[in-house]
Amino acid sequence: MSSSPTRNAVASGRRADAGDGKGSVELRSVSKSFGGVTVVKDLDLSVNPGEFLSLLGPSGCGKTTTLRMLAGFEQPDSGEVLISGAAVQHLPPHKRDVNTVFQSYALFPHMTVAANIAYGLRQRRGIDRAEIRSRVAEALDMVQMTRFADRKPNRLSGGQQQRVALARALVNRPGVLLLDEPLAALDRKLREDMQVELKLLQSRLGTTFVFVTHDQEEALSMSDRVAVMLDGRIEQIADPYTVYERPATAFVAGFIGQQNFFDGTVADAGRAIEIDGGTVLPAEPVTIHGSGAAAVRVAVRPEAVTVAEAAPAGPDGSANALPGAVAAVSLLGDVLQYVVHADAGHELLARVPRRQAGRLAEGARVWCSWAPSDVHVFPAEVTPRAPIGSAK
Amino acid sequence: MTSDRRVPRAARRAVPPGLLATPALAWLALFFVAPVGLVFWYSLGRKPGLYQTHANDVLTLDRYREALGDTFLTSFSGTLRIGVTGTALCLAIGLPFAYWLAVKVRPHRRFVVLALVLVPFWTNFLIRTIGWQVVLSPEGFASRAMQSLGLIDAPFSMLFTRGAVLLGVVYNYLPMMILPLYVALDRIDGSLREASNDLGANRWRTALQVTLPLARPGIAAGLLLVFIPLMGDYVTAAVLGGARGNMVGQLVASQFQQAQNWALGSAMAVVLIVVIALTILATAAAGAVCTWLLTHRRRRELAGIAEGSAA
Ligand SMILES: Nc1ncnc2c1ncn2[C@@H]1O[C@H](COP(=O)(O)OP(=O)(O)O)[C@@H](O)[C@H]1O
Ligand SMILES: [Mg+2]
Repeated sequence: MSSSPTRNAVASGRRADAGDGKGSVELRSVSKSFGGVTVVKDLDLSVNPGEFLSLLGPSGCGKTTTLRMLAGFEQPDSGEVLISGAAVQHLPPHKRDVNTVFQSYALFPHMTVAANIAYGLRQRRGIDRAEIRSRVAEALDMVQMTRFADRKPNRLSGGQQQRVALARALVNRPGVLLLDEPLAALDRKLREDMQVELKLLQSRLGTTFVFVTHDQEEALSMSDRVAVMLDGRIEQIADPYTVYERPATAFVAGFIGQQNFFDGTVADAGRAIEIDGGTVLPAEPVTIHGSGAAAVRVAVRPEAVTVAEAAPAGPDGSANALPGAVAAVSLLGDVLQYVVHADAGHELLARVPRRQAGRLAEGARVWCSWAPSDVHVFPAEVTPRAPIGSAK
Repeated sequence: MTSDRRVPRAARRAVPPGLLATPALAWLALFFVAPVGLVFWYSLGRKPGLYQTHANDVLTLDRYREALGDTFLTSFSGTLRIGVTGTALCLAIGLPFAYWLAVKVRPHRRFVVLALVLVPFWTNFLIRTIGWQVVLSPEGFASRAMQSLGLIDAPFSMLFTRGAVLLGVVYNYLPMMILPLYVALDRIDGSLREASNDLGANRWRTALQVTLPLARPGIAAGLLLVFIPLMGDYVTAAVLGGARGNMVGQLVASQFQQAQNWALGSAMAVVLIVVIALTILATAAAGAVCTWLLTHRRRRELAGIAEGSAA
């Protein structure tokens, strides 16, 4: 097979020009309900041309519905949808400058791979046959499926069907490509390869990608920005680094990666938080509006927690530290993970680089401690706590 | 002991896979091949006397010459016309209906609509056809309704017209068309229509390029389920068409029942079977040729892309 442009792709400067608005997406206070249940609530979202944006959230939070409103399969009850600068909420799908990669791939079973890819071009006027042929060949080459041009989709593997679905959408050169969990059906190894390939393809083509996923690792590794959704709203929209390091809400903190959560109350004018069996000191004084001892939720990442047999010696004494016993140790590649039962009843998760420390045995008495800069404080909302490990 | 146990196991492994099809084959032989073979055998004989129905002492093709006489051919062409028109009407009505049912009706309501489609089947075939006789007669509901609407001034009879026969045919056979079409259309994943729409095809182009080609097995099944029984049916035509509704099935039946000439009746039945088979083959061939012609240019346009990569 000829050397593929995909593999050799470098993020070239061929991104769509931000000036003409081609490839931009905007949702303005869009709402949608099904049978009285509001699925998308007053949603605002703006995607820049050439951006790779992920919609990330738990199952049922309205990601697919949002995407389907962009594609035109669902009409919003209220609000505006703009694609490439034009209001499209009243246009049917076939008149929008978007194409979709479906989760089920939705390849036409009665057509060959090449005919599937040619389908979109054949619906248009003014594309002659030679051009259809050359663009189909180019798209096949782009996803390295040239050899399979004459096959029917049912004789392809899942990963190959995925590539055909991608080529079938991209051959039309849409301003915006919508992808609904396109990798969810692939096995782990293939999925990771495809993540890299998709990302390279996107930066080479400069097409705006709106990518739906419930997999936070996938979203973090591929996206320019991640929009974390919950119950039809966007909880936070930011670049992956910010979403991970500075989660805006307790839900985002719990959904992205793992967290140790403590419920407590604010004391000492915001300079301390009392939790069961200890005190948490934040980096900066907490300002929670309201009277009296405000209830808060504190989050500390497992990798920020230090596990030691000796009590931490610091100016703050026993603040940001909890005594307990090691309940379980497991090796996760290069990292040791401890589950510690704190004496006050908390269950803490800690991750320590394997080489950095000697391995502590199960049952050992330890202190778990962390720095004030690793403390995130959120208002104690009604948001249900995401159980540890829920974010896959 | 051990070898005793091993023998049946080896024997079981040696069972040819075709053996499992034996019951089905036996059923086919007993209820299809044997009766048709018998009819064919009788058709080569003659009616020896007034009180005997058939004899095969001399083998002759004379019954076929007799069968292909004027009465039979006239009746036959009438039957074929009603069969083809009726089947086409059922398809023309059944296809949009089945599409609507499978695509537009909400899933929990489909059951209700399907039940309504099948309601006529709860009554006897003859009774519901005679029911139409009542409706279509000059004193009947249809005539009175048209009179009260001022469409006609005098009592009017639709009964015993070709229109009445086709009405009865559509009424009696439409469900046999709708059911397989509905099943075929319902099986098509809705995301395929969405994908087509997403790729720039409007509703009509989607129907022509995606939905219809994928529904082909259902269309074929519907055509067969309507056309074959319709070609043998003479009750609908006799009840609603009177003298005009002289179907070939009636001729065959009267040879067996009234004339007691099983040899001639068998010859007519064989001709009927052959013509039905030929019609089906011709339709299938026409369908295949049309599909080939429609897709040929497009196939050629994309041919050889895969080979180009091998270089
Ligand atoms: N066509 C529909 N009719 C009724 N309810 C729907 C429809 N589509 C989605 N829903 C509901 O809307 C909610 C959000 O669905 P969806 O957007 O598919 O979520 P996600 O893709 O984030 O998992 C779900 O509770 C789902 O049951
Ligand atoms: Mg979804």
